[in-house]
Amino acid sequence: MNLEKVIFGFFNILACTLNFGFFIGDLDRPELHHPFELFTAIVVSLIVTVLKFGDRTQLGATHLATSLVATLQLLAASMVWAWQLYITRLPMDGEVMSIIVSLSGGALLANLISVILLIGETLRQGR
Amino acid sequence: MGDVLFLALRRLRAPLITIICVYAISVGGLTLIPGLDAAGKPETMSFFHAFYVMSYTATTIGFGELPNPFTDAQRMWVTFSIYLSVVAWAYALGTVIALTNDATFRAMLARSIFNRRVRGIVEPFYIVCGYGQSGAALMHALDDHGTRLVVIETRAERVARIALEEYITPPLALAADARLADVLEDAGIHSAHCAGLIALAGDDGVNQAIAIGARVLNPNLRSVARAKSRAAELNLAAFEDVRVVNPFTTFAENLRLGLAAPEVLQLEEWLTGAPGSDCPDCMTLPRGRWVLVGFGRFGHAISAMLDVEGIEWKAFDSSVVDDDEKRLIHGIDTEHALNDAGIGQADVLIAGAAVDAVNLGVTTLARRINAGIFVVIRQNHAQDHALIKAARADMSFVQSELMVHECLQILKTPMLGRFIGHLRAAGADLADATIERVKRDSGNGAPLAWTFACDVMQPGMFGAFFQRPGDALRIGHLVADPTNPSERLVATALLLERQGTPHLLPDDSTVLKPGDQILFVGDNTARGLQLRYLNEPGTVAWVCSGREPPRGAIFRWWQQRSRAA
Repeated sequence: MNLEKVIFGFFNILACTLNFGFFIGDLDRPELHHPFELFTAIVVSLIVTVLKFGDRTQLGATHLATSLVATLQLLAASMVWAWQLYITRLPMDGEVMSIIVSLSGGALLANLISVILLIGETLRQGR
Repeated sequence: MGDVLFLALRRLRAPLITIICVYAISVGGLTLIPGLDAAGKPETMSFFHAFYVMSYTATTIGFGELPNPFTDAQRMWVTFSIYLSVVAWAYALGTVIALTNDATFRAMLARSIFNRRVRGIVEPFYIVCGYGQSGAALMHALDDHGTRLVVIETRAERVARIALEEYITPPLALAADARLADVLEDAGIHSAHCAGLIALAGDDGVNQAIAIGARVLNPNLRSVARAKSRAAELNLAAFEDVRVVNPFTTFAENLRLGLAAPEVLQLEEWLTGAPGSDCPDCMTLPRGRWVLVGFGRFGHAISAMLDVEGIEWKAFDSSVVDDDEKRLIHGIDTEHALNDAGIGQADVLIAGAAVDAVNLGVTTLARRINAGIFVVIRQNHAQDHALIKAARADMSFVQSELMVHECLQILKTPMLGRFIGHLRAAGADLADATIERVKRDSGNGAPLAWTFACDVMQPGMFGAFFQRPGDALRIGHLVADPTNPSERLVATALLLERQGTPHLLPDDSTVLKPGDQILFVGDNTARGLQLRYLNEPGTVAWVCSGREPPRGAIFRWWQQRSRAA
């Protein structure tokens, strides 16, 4: 057992599950999507991105790319949220919430690809 | 640049993750701690405000308690966060600073900057491998000719020295091993502007590896390598396009010329000397008996030449044992040993030891015994130049000067090198004739050499050969002043090459054909003016007939019509 693989796999899957947790529920119902879940998803996604730095293999580059996509999508979602509350100064409504959740849905797709890559890599190495 | 970025990111992984975690803990905590709004009602801080507060707190900017005054519970958490985040930042910044001081990182950064600059060169440049005495002398000479240079040297302190020396255009230098293919690639061996490579490292094996590597990477590249041993010379000779220069045999060959045809040596020195320097005197080497001090590679090369010429010689060196023919004598530089070698009856002394002090000492001793002896002295170190000069030897061997001479000849005007080859084969008569002719046309100063190619792809030559009725183009036309055809340019044709066949000292009346290459010597003004025959359509016609030919299609048609009428 390789500790690096454990940590890497843990964060990779955690990013995916947290993202899923935030995404699940009707798109336009703000009460189903808690900001804390988005926050933790962003934090874990950032950590995963940094963990992937410096791997110069082809697979490592694809891993990094998926994480960057997920992180950027989640950051965009949080910015839309902040814009609605603090720039336009309106309460959260269904329309904006659906934008935020669909952005996180994109991030979820990227995270899923990342997890698939992880599984594929593990299966290919077979050790 | 990619390598540098990857290395930096890899090293910064731990500090970046630390900062992310610390921010996550502080911001997350701040949104959970109960607070009060402006009206005094309980409210927790939003993520946006929490991130804002942590951003200015962690970076020790400190705007105060925003958006509302904190509760004591919030203050407690912020106090904890301050210590946590300041430590995390200090750790991260420390890692960044350590990285910029890291030797590997700096070497990579230097390499990537070097590579970017090399790719930015848009004029012909040479790659010089090895910045020793010869390398430095050659680089200064090439720099004086206005050539861009890229230098690879293994020792970092020598590379640092380049920045302190005066160059017209500072060369691009890299501290690396040129035997590695990626180093040569970064130095621009594949560049379309790379004009050649010169391997002047201290070790023969290294030069061999560099020259062969360069040949494999870019088969069309002109390259010159120094080889001091016979084995390396033979190995490299197998590669056709690599020119090998052995400084010892080259000098021995010069001495042989000095014995057999001193005029050839005189002309060679004059033609390859710095432009403007006077024609050297013809120096005749006495045949007689020769004494060699020092019997290393230098002594070997000279004794081999003397054997060919059938000249009697004796050599002494502390590392040899006496041989049967009593030509090699074991000894050091003492008067006694000199007497053993028969210095009193000798005509030539070769002070060729590898230590300058020995050479100077032996010269003084020999002159004390035999005042009229012809002395050839070897200079080993550039810093002893003044001392060797003060010894006023009749001839001196300075390896770096010889290498510069040879390399410039091979690289700058290869045709001049071929002319000198013909000259050596032809002997004294041709040399005399050449000296006379060049002196008649150009005067006493050493001339500049250049090649004129009758390239019909150039507008001037196309016009001269295909669009012009009347007289054929002759060499005489090319040495006429294009601004005033009755005046002659300061230029002499030395060699005409037609389809690989050389014609030495062609007359002014020689008729030219497309594809001819002519070696001229003269001054820089003549060279510039002569280019007009190549680049401007109509100049040749004007010089030949005194009439400006029509340029445009309509005027040409009009002229043909009126000629037909």
